[in-house]
Amino acid sequence: MDPQPKKRRQLGGELIIPVAAVIFTLYYFSTIWNSPWTAQVSAFFVGGVLLLVCGLFILRSVLWMARGEGVFGFANIFSYEDIRSGRIGLLAATIGFCFLIEPLGFTLATFLFLFASMLVLAKGRRPFFIAFLSASIALVGWAVFILAFDTRFPRGWFENTMRAVIGNG
Amino acid sequence: MGETAALLAEVFFETVTYWWVIIPTIILGLIVGGIPGFSAANTIIILMPLTLAMDVQTGIVFMVSLYCAARMGAGIPAILVNIPGTAGAAATPLDGYPMAKAGKGQQALSISFVASCLGGLLTTIIALATMPILARVGFYMHSVEMIVVMLFGISLIASIAAQDLLKGLIAGFFGLMIGAIGTDVVYATPRGTMGFLELYDGVPLIPALVGLFAVSEAFMIIEKKVIVSEDAEPKDPNWHDTIEGVKIAISRWWHIVWTSIIGLVIGVIPGAGASIASFVAYQQSRSYSKTPEKYGTGHPEGLIAPESANNGVTSGTLVPLLVLGIPGGATAAIMLVVMQFHGVGFGPSLFETNPKVGYGMFMAMAVSYVLMIFTILPLSRYMSHVTTVPTIYLAPMIISFTLVGAFVPREYMFDMYLALVFGVIGYVARKTGYHVAAILIGVILGPLLETYFLRSLKKSGGDITVLFSSNLGNVLWVGLVLSIVVPLWLDRRRKMREAPAE
Repeated sequence: MDPQPKKRRQLGGELIIPVAAVIFTLYYFSTIWNSPWTAQVSAFFVGGVLLLVCGLFILRSVLWMARGEGVFGFANIFSYEDIRSGRIGLLAATIGFCFLIEPLGFTLATFLFLFASMLVLAKGRRPFFIAFLSASIALVGWAVFILAFDTRFPRGWFENTMRAVIGNG
Repeated sequence: MGETAALLAEVFFETVTYWWVIIPTIILGLIVGGIPGFSAANTIIILMPLTLAMDVQTGIVFMVSLYCAARMGAGIPAILVNIPGTAGAAATPLDGYPMAKAGKGQQALSISFVASCLGGLLTTIIALATMPILARVGFYMHSVEMIVVMLFGISLIASIAAQDLLKGLIAGFFGLMIGAIGTDVVYATPRGTMGFLELYDGVPLIPALVGLFAVSEAFMIIEKKVIVSEDAEPKDPNWHDTIEGVKIAISRWWHIVWTSIIGLVIGVIPGAGASIASFVAYQQSRSYSKTPEKYGTGHPEGLIAPESANNGVTSGTLVPLLVLGIPGGATAAIMLVVMQFHGVGFGPSLFETNPKVGYGMFMAMAVSYVLMIFTILPLSRYMSHVTTVPTIYLAPMIISFTLVGAFVPREYMFDMYLALVFGVIGYVARKTGYHVAAILIGVILGPLLETYFLRSLKKSGGDITVLFSSNLGNVLWVGLVLSIVVPLWLDRRRKMREAPAE
């Protein structure tokens, strides 16, 4: 007797990449439909192989599901653990960082992102240490990348104020 | 001959006196090489006013040391946190990161440093001795030959696919399709761009690298408290692991020699670069290994091959620059501009009119590699501590600095969003058993392969048999087929021998 039932494969999650690949390949083909043959041949070759292997993978997944070796589930991609571990919070903070960095500037956006994401991942513990760490990292980043190297990182209120202060000093 | 030797010795000792430039530049190079987006080329551009203000010799020493150190620096985060600093180090985490996770981060760094320094030093000497011959390589490598060289790199996808053939092929060919986004080189027709003007030049590599490796890895590592495995033996920093790593690397000296020569030869070909060299070297190293099954699990030879090769490229890229005046890569192109500002013209006459500059570049490289090994080896003890930093602090730091790194090369906000999209693709791929390295190989090599493919077809009027029209190309085709078939045959023969014994 099998003491523990074998865990069935979550094939819904495994199908995301092949399905995305098929959709993208068909879209790509639509954009080269009227191109000269020499410009199509490479894409049709690569895309053709990709469609073939994706088709085989989908067929294999269907057979596994029919034999009960897998289920159309997504537990390998998304589970309660993602909320508990703070992964969803980190994703939200990352998206926020990408959108806020232009209006707020590198230093302030980096500080806010680091503070928010570390606090989420630490489940609210040690807020003062996290605030200090986030501020230190953001300031070091500003000093190295903007002050020393003069890279074109997005500038905002903090960078402009510091430029005025240093310029007048 | 005697005069040249005396001149070389003079230039060498003169270069050593620039240690005060080389050592700080090495540290700068290690930092910028380790952050995706901050390559040596970008840093030289940023510091261009400083470089132009220096005298010629100091400028050369500064640029060459930065170039070498940045190449080596790119391997550090690749080993410790699975994030290659540049595309040239994309094959390094395949075996470097499993070593770090197993608590052998310090040893892996030592192996990488020794392989990089010895590979770089050796290829510098070979390049210096064989410059006239190597300079001809670029002339013989046309579109057809380059297609075969690309296929050598892409055949790594097949190795990755060995664990699950369908998933490996899907990942690799999906990468190739993504790499084909952009306008085609011959007809300038936009393909697969989804209407984004920012994609007309193709998918930028840094956002792809940042997303697939850094962002997705940051979302993965938060599942654990620290990067290093819980079952790994806890260790304090010690010299033993560093020395052990040095011993492992030196005991595989022949591996360093031949994989770095792969890098040198590929580096000589203008436009080829370190990413192709490291993939080709890794694949060839695996193909001819007696233990190919250990690759991908933290095998030292899997770490030595890409690191020796990508440092071999640094010497190779200087050859066409010095001898022909053709830069072999972005950094070499910037060096050309800076040197032209100082009135130094590259090309065949350089070694007659200005031999000190010509030999000086190679000597700066040799001295940098020698000084680098003594500077960096002691640091490996402390660098490996990154694997013990709690992931709740490490993951947000990785995301913030690498996402901003994605912005740096083109300064488009779009590239940060693109890195995020690649991050999601990378995360889904990792969670469901697709190899992100296979996707990246496709993204890097796909457009290059297509470019050469289109050029060949255009020249031949659409005749596909052009792929077998050159003698060198045919030799390379045979080499490619042999490199795939022979290891399979040897493996099969070994299994057949083992079977009766059992």
